[in-house]
Amino acid sequence: MSCANIIKKERTSVINPLVTCQPMGAMYAVAGIRRGLPLVHGAQGCSTFVRYAFARHFREPSEIAVTSLHEDAAVFGGRKNLISGIGNLAIRFKPSLIGVISTCSSEIIGDDMGGFIKVAIEEMKKRMGEKEAEKIKIVPISTPSFVETHFKGYDNTIKALVDNLACDPTEFNEKVNIIPGIVNPGDIREIKHILALMGIEGLILTDISDPFDSPLRPSATEFKPFYPKGGTTVEEICDTSNSLGTISLCRYAGSAAVSLEKKYDVPAAVGPIPIGVQNTDQFLRNLKKFTGLEIPDTILDERGLLIDSMADIVSRYLFGRKVAVFGDPAITSGIARFVCELGMIPSVVCTGVESPEFVEEMKKVAKESDEPVDVLIRSDLRDLETHLEEDPVDLMIGHSDGRLFAKSLDIPLIRVGFPVYDRVGYHRVPIVGYNGGINLIDRITNTVFEKYYDKEHWKLQQ
Amino acid sequence: MPFKLFEVDKEIPDREKHIYVKDSADPKEHIPKCNTTTIPGCMTERGCSFAGIRGVIGGAIKDVIHVVHAPVGCTTNSSGSKRYPTSPDLPNGDKVPVDQFNLKYVMGTDLKESDVIFGGMKKLRQSIIEAYKEFPFVGAIYTYATCTTGLIGDDMDAVAKQLTEELGKDVVAFNVPGFSGPTQSKGHHEGNITFFNRLVGTKEPPETTPYDVNLIGEYNIDGDNWILEPYLKEIGINILSRFTGDSSHDEICWMHRAKLSLVRCQRSANYIADLIEEKYGIPYIKVDFFGPKYCAENLMAVAKYFGLEEKAEKLIERKMKEIQPELDFYKEKLQGKKLWMFSGGPKNWHFPEPLKDHLGMETVAVSTMFEHEDGYTKIKERVGEGTVIIDDPNSLEFDEIIEVYKPDIILSGIKEKYKAHKFGVPGILIHSYENGPYIGFEGFLNLARDIYASIYSPVWNMIEFEEELEESEEEVIK
Repeated sequence: MSCANIIKKERTSVINPLVTCQPMGAMYAVAGIRRGLPLVHGAQGCSTFVRYAFARHFREPSEIAVTSLHEDAAVFGGRKNLISGIGNLAIRFKPSLIGVISTCSSEIIGDDMGGFIKVAIEEMKKRMGEKEAEKIKIVPISTPSFVETHFKGYDNTIKALVDNLACDPTEFNEKVNIIPGIVNPGDIREIKHILALMGIEGLILTDISDPFDSPLRPSATEFKPFYPKGGTTVEEICDTSNSLGTISLCRYAGSAAVSLEKKYDVPAAVGPIPIGVQNTDQFLRNLKKFTGLEIPDTILDERGLLIDSMADIVSRYLFGRKVAVFGDPAITSGIARFVCELGMIPSVVCTGVESPEFVEEMKKVAKESDEPVDVLIRSDLRDLETHLEEDPVDLMIGHSDGRLFAKSLDIPLIRVGFPVYDRVGYHRVPIVGYNGGINLIDRITNTVFEKYYDKEHWKLQQ
Repeated sequence: MPFKLFEVDKEIPDREKHIYVKDSADPKEHIPKCNTTTIPGCMTERGCSFAGIRGVIGGAIKDVIHVVHAPVGCTTNSSGSKRYPTSPDLPNGDKVPVDQFNLKYVMGTDLKESDVIFGGMKKLRQSIIEAYKEFPFVGAIYTYATCTTGLIGDDMDAVAKQLTEELGKDVVAFNVPGFSGPTQSKGHHEGNITFFNRLVGTKEPPETTPYDVNLIGEYNIDGDNWILEPYLKEIGINILSRFTGDSSHDEICWMHRAKLSLVRCQRSANYIADLIEEKYGIPYIKVDFFGPKYCAENLMAVAKYFGLEEKAEKLIERKMKEIQPELDFYKEKLQGKKLWMFSGGPKNWHFPEPLKDHLGMETVAVSTMFEHEDGYTKIKERVGEGTVIIDDPNSLEFDEIIEVYKPDIILSGIKEKYKAHKFGVPGILIHSYENGPYIGFEGFLNLARDIYASIYSPVWNMIEFEEELEESEEEVIK
């Protein structure tokens, strides 16, 4: 048993952040709604930079509207922009839902989004008729950029969706709500695969798997306006209050689960992200608890395949190697625990948030590790770089923003999470669930081969 | 009927003024309405003025650390996103000790709620001091206003002035909050003025020659500078200062010592050339090096200014000989293909003619994010009859352009590229390129190769499942 050394960044400034601001999490969440459109109430950069980031990572389009705030709004407020913005978007795109996302500018200006939305709805009724206007749900989402990080924005959004849309419970729908957190399409598909093997219908809040990985099939695609395939329907979000339970796979986005429990007695389980063996086991136990269903052999066999890989690979190639894990708190904590399960040492774990939950999680991981774990919180990539210059590791696991740091440190970087833009396919391949564990072992071990065995290639002969 | 209201715009009829179909019979002043604010609720491809100054101009300089005065998002967003590599060499013979320093690091003040309430100046001061401690080798520290700091009214110039004295290093504040101006163009403009007022004329170059030029508005996208500079060198022209691709901070400070300025990007950097001419009497030539013909003409014009025509002729002749056979191949393959050019601004008038002359391609649609009247006038001159010219197209218009004008390829940014693919239309990146550089003679071949590879990728023949094949087709598949 060993300890976690909690190290807080000393600098005031941030150098190459590991987090971004709240609106990004909100845009991600709304993009997972069928015919759902994010409307960013801010300057154009707030939507454009995020669309760029999504395009770079998913290699998919993302349709995000903006109210285009300028100097006049800074002086007189963004009322006019928001009201006409909602109206134009509603009438031209006929979405099922508009998520109105605030930014630093609209929050500082002090726009009364709730009040403006009421006026906007009246205007919409005049422009498109009451019947058509009522079909479009408009959800205000407060995401001040200067408070916490993109995870808070994601959390606020899922909670706003549930609080605004969940209906008064009628009867159980036999479904389980899943809040996946900020993960990849491949991860959500793996979660759905597990649910299907269990015989459970999941209600994903929200499901970006198809919108951010959609087929190129012009004959089966909606154009004018373009809407990607898939996403969670508004009706499904309304139905979340009738579910058997809510599992948030992300410890940092559990507010909606808690809210559903308080308001509608839908039991909640928050975290951990099912990366690795024990975390996935916990996910299955949660599913069993909420549904009363047994875990089928098919899933236990998949678990067995992961265990088999670990037995075959770990001791010879991975055991005892030191790893630095960085990125968002959810994926980072999951990977850190999995690294321990592989007999490796998560020497450095680094994230941009400062959260007591993360510290607790890392203390648990440290107990499972043979050696101490340096936990860098409220940290950034420069902080990590300085740390690794003094105390190097064998491998880094994190996203593409660490690429130049890994290069100058001459440490191989295994890419996971968001964003990954300098490799392809990572948004499709899951890292959650037992299958995700297998993918991760392969990814990690093959990297170890390249770096530590290619010179003496005969070592890999048998 | 030169102006056109798209079917998808009937609810926002003001858009009609922004869309013009070229007809030579129209008066010259018929061009799209431009450089005005976007209609709220549109999915615009435009960015903010912070992106204009930080992303386009500031970020290309090799030895500057940038401190973004903002909540964390603006710093994250401006990290490593633009593709402008740098060489480590500095004018005094030193080297920047970090590989691709400008691409690797970005700093921010990480403003929180309490800073919004009580002001962020203390944090800004502290962050700049930390920047100096972390990267003592930098030539300067630049700091940028954003929406938050614009709204809370931090006096960044005061902090910059004080720290310039205390640190003995230039600290420059760019006061262009994201919301200012209709597009990123405002950021370019204000940024030019700050560079000029604050830096130009403050340092002297180690040496000068009679053939010194400023290369202005060339950002070394994917290595464009590294194609152009050898041309100029061979002709006998010396680049004294770059603004700002592969530039060092000091070079900008001595732009007043050149004999001539060459203005490559005439949307983002013409302002500083004007200011330098006005104050120091240094003339400038607007240059266009995209496409072999323009490149040759403009190299000759620059050479002529210095009386170096002979060397330029030799270079041009050699280069044309080198690229002609491959160019002919692409022309044969791309003849008659239709394209939609959607760039930030000037590439829309740089490319239609070269693509027609050298590759036989027809530009059916042109659109820009932030072009102004002068740019649209040039675009109108250079495109064919019936070409649709669109200012700031929104997402629904995107669909209609593809439906009506049926381009074989779109040359655009990354956000638009993947959407075009969903329609079955190939797209290539024209802002940062696919496999660039695209400037100059060999650069144009890279562009031609990327267009060819995109249009002729076998995938476009397989996009839909076919229930039955004609017998002859079956043979081909086998």
